[in-house]
Amino acid sequence: MRTEENNGVPGEDIRIGVYVCMCGGNISDVIDVDRVAAAVGEIAGVTLAKVHPFMCSDPGQQTITEDIKTQKLNRVVVASCSPFLHELTFRTAVGRGGLNPYLYEHVNIREQGSWSHKDDPDGATIKAIRLIAAAIGKLRYAEPLEQIQISNFRRALVIGGGIAGMRSAVDLGKRGIEVLLVEKEPSLGGWVKEWEEIYPTGGKGAELIRRLNEELERLNEVTVLKGVRVSDLSGFVGNYNVTLENAGAGDEAELREVLGNAPYRAQAGAIIVAAGFEPYKPRAGEFGYESFPGVVTLPEFIEGLSEMQIHPEGRIFWRGRTVGSVAFIHCVGSRQIEGVHEKQDDGKINDYCSRTCCTAIVRNAALIRERFPGVHVYDFYQDIRTYGRGHEEIYTSAANTGVTFLRYHGEQPPVVEKGADGALLVRCNDRLTFGEEIEAAVDMVVLGVGMTPGAVGKVSEVLKLPVGADRFLQEVHPKLRPVEVSVNGVFLAGTAQGPMNIEEAFSAAGAAAAKASILLNNSTVQLDPFKANVDDESCIGCERCLSECVYTGALVMKEAKGTDGSTCRKAVVNPGLCVGCGACVAVCPTRAIYVNGWTLSQYEAMVDGLLNAPREGARIENA
Amino acid sequence: MSSEAFIPKILVPATVSCAYPGADAVGKAHLKYPTNIDIIRVPSPVMFPEDFYLGCFMKGIDGILIAGCGSDCPFEGAYTKLTKRIDGLVKKMRAGGLEIERLRLTAICTVCVKAFLKEVNQLNDKVKALGPVNRDVARVLWEASLREIREGIETETANE
Ligand SMILES: Cc1cc2nc3c(=O)[nH]c(=O)nc-3n(C[C@H](O)[C@H](O)[C@H](O)COP(=O)(O)OP(=O)(O)OC[C@H]3O[C@@H](n4cnc5c(N)ncnc54)[C@H](O)[C@@H]3O)c2cc1C
Repeated sequence: MRTEENNGVPGEDIRIGVYVCMCGGNISDVIDVDRVAAAVGEIAGVTLAKVHPFMCSDPGQQTITEDIKTQKLNRVVVASCSPFLHELTFRTAVGRGGLNPYLYEHVNIREQGSWSHKDDPDGATIKAIRLIAAAIGKLRYAEPLEQIQISNFRRALVIGGGIAGMRSAVDLGKRGIEVLLVEKEPSLGGWVKEWEEIYPTGGKGAELIRRLNEELERLNEVTVLKGVRVSDLSGFVGNYNVTLENAGAGDEAELREVLGNAPYRAQAGAIIVAAGFEPYKPRAGEFGYESFPGVVTLPEFIEGLSEMQIHPEGRIFWRGRTVGSVAFIHCVGSRQIEGVHEKQDDGKINDYCSRTCCTAIVRNAALIRERFPGVHVYDFYQDIRTYGRGHEEIYTSAANTGVTFLRYHGEQPPVVEKGADGALLVRCNDRLTFGEEIEAAVDMVVLGVGMTPGAVGKVSEVLKLPVGADRFLQEVHPKLRPVEVSVNGVFLAGTAQGPMNIEEAFSAAGAAAAKASILLNNSTVQLDPFKANVDDESCIGCERCLSECVYTGALVMKEAKGTDGSTCRKAVVNPGLCVGCGACVAVCPTRAIYVNGWTLSQYEAMVDGLLNAPREGARIENA
Repeated sequence: MSSEAFIPKILVPATVSCAYPGADAVGKAHLKYPTNIDIIRVPSPVMFPEDFYLGCFMKGIDGILIAGCGSDCPFEGAYTKLTKRIDGLVKKMRAGGLEIERLRLTAICTVCVKAFLKEVNQLNDKVKALGPVNRDVARVLWEASLREIREGIETETANE
């Protein structure tokens, strides 16, 4: 009953193993780990407390599994880095040792310990002891938990039909997994189909797209819907429900044929977001854009390439103009500097590098020299980042074709002005000539615009997909989980995640498809058990929890037999729909409803642990 | 005890989706805050009834910073409910004679390191100035909040 400070006392004999990680000095340079282990070793229920240089290493994990067996541990605490890094690692190790993986608590003494309290080693040490004492308190009330199994709809929804989305769809289809590929434009291919020549291999972008399209068409598993976008979404991993709408260019008859009558609904177990990028749009007047004719962005220039005719003397004849000289400017809308560049609409500057522009610019600069040998080409750059295999050669060949390179300083970008006779003047302080003020009169200026994220729309809104400071979608971990997001069952493919070239977007798309197929390979999905749960005996059927729960179907009432044989009503949770927020918990008068793994009694035990933690201890063991 | 020597016990329930990684970001940036700030992970503080907070004060926690997600809350409606509950609790604290400055609800995002530091330092300074919590006053309020819920059960069972 709720009248006591803590209800229920753990029945079994508690044997807790506590492991304090040094993190190779990251922790132990500030926190006195031996003192921590000695102090927590004094707490009732603690069987052993050990210090280890790297708990996450194989030997570190082995210590846990062995101690569980030999020391008959039935609860484990590891005090180390943030739980976002290694909670799962140690939980799995605990499972390997034969113990229920949820009889484990993770304590953060690095990010929220040694790294935040460098100047107060004593305070940080005592704090570490307190936090471990809290975890021990919580573990006293821990129950073994099982992952939740729910059914899985074995189809992937791919949003965006650029090369990334197409690649993911092909890979999944070839693995025999059903795919619904949704593209908002009337045709597939995204930006690549616009590129006249794609580096580093050469050839037209449209040709690459044609080949991918052929592969797609051969796959019965893949359904492509063009001119369509997602208008609504609900559900969770294994069970997403999407509603599609005509984005203007959709074929209604086809939609009806595939999905039945409107509203067009479809189910999917996994979602791959491949919504791509939008080239940076310069503001009116930025480097003369929209102010002076002859200033274009790189995509606009590439679009015009196929119509450019050769003029006598090797010049360009395009749209009624003769062009004898062209200046390219790098980093337009990328690598911006606070105070130097004007802020974007959201108050931020684009301080990231768009990565793909350098090679695209130098390749197109060389292309002009090759096709129109009479044209002078200037390349205004701050750094050249032609980083991929074969890209360095592209840079060298641009220099060899006679492109003139000028290097500006990021703090002092070039200035585009109106010159005499309709020409454009590009002025720059050139670092290659040690600060000479250089002025180039040209007929055309091409702005090497960077990438900004594409509009994912409804899906991002509903699922609250995390975005980075650069506004691109953000993965869980750049190294450990590069194509996953924090929402289960959602994967990232291509430039929706950040600037990438075709090669990189392909790799990411392949990885996303692989991750999605791991999920879709099974007819069930495993979910973490941290969902609400009802103790039938203490539920009095008052229904207060019901009105707190906004997730339709997550919490319902059912008829049950009381102990005296009479029928009564009890709350029941659907773990697939429950999100584990705990809104129901706060209003329950008998504490009958709780969130697995995070019960109120556990929180109260944590507070007790914090307040009653010892400061010192005698026992020291080393792992 | 002089007010300078008093080190308050500050509890920060921090949300898994926002404030907890926000506090991690502070550590990753190697920025500093006092060691008397203890952070505990919560899916959402909406799960805590009034008596949880009052119980903390009764046991000797001097200040609580509820570090939530604000409008970024991944759980529908949870933040509004939480705000209402805290508003109600603050009224009860004021009426019962417990300094309302000891409890604060705020939103910290996953990268909001400055906001985190400002909030914890401000609460810490305020509570330092207030001195230790009056646990007896908190106990009275805690008991009342439990009674309130139990009365609810009795009327409901009586109605059946
Ligand atoms: C000027 C320039 C030149 C380049 N040249 C090269 C080169 O030569 N070689 C190279 O390797 N790389 C090059 N790149 C990079 C290359 O363009 C990208 O790597 C590639 O386009 C990434 O493909 P994607 O599928 O991720 O995105 P995108 O090409 O942007 O495709 C995304 C697709 O998703 C669709 N979409 C977006 N939102 C939605 C939604 N909500 N619902 C449905 N559909 C949606 C879009 O309509 C689009 O079809 C260049 C980039 C630029 C800017």
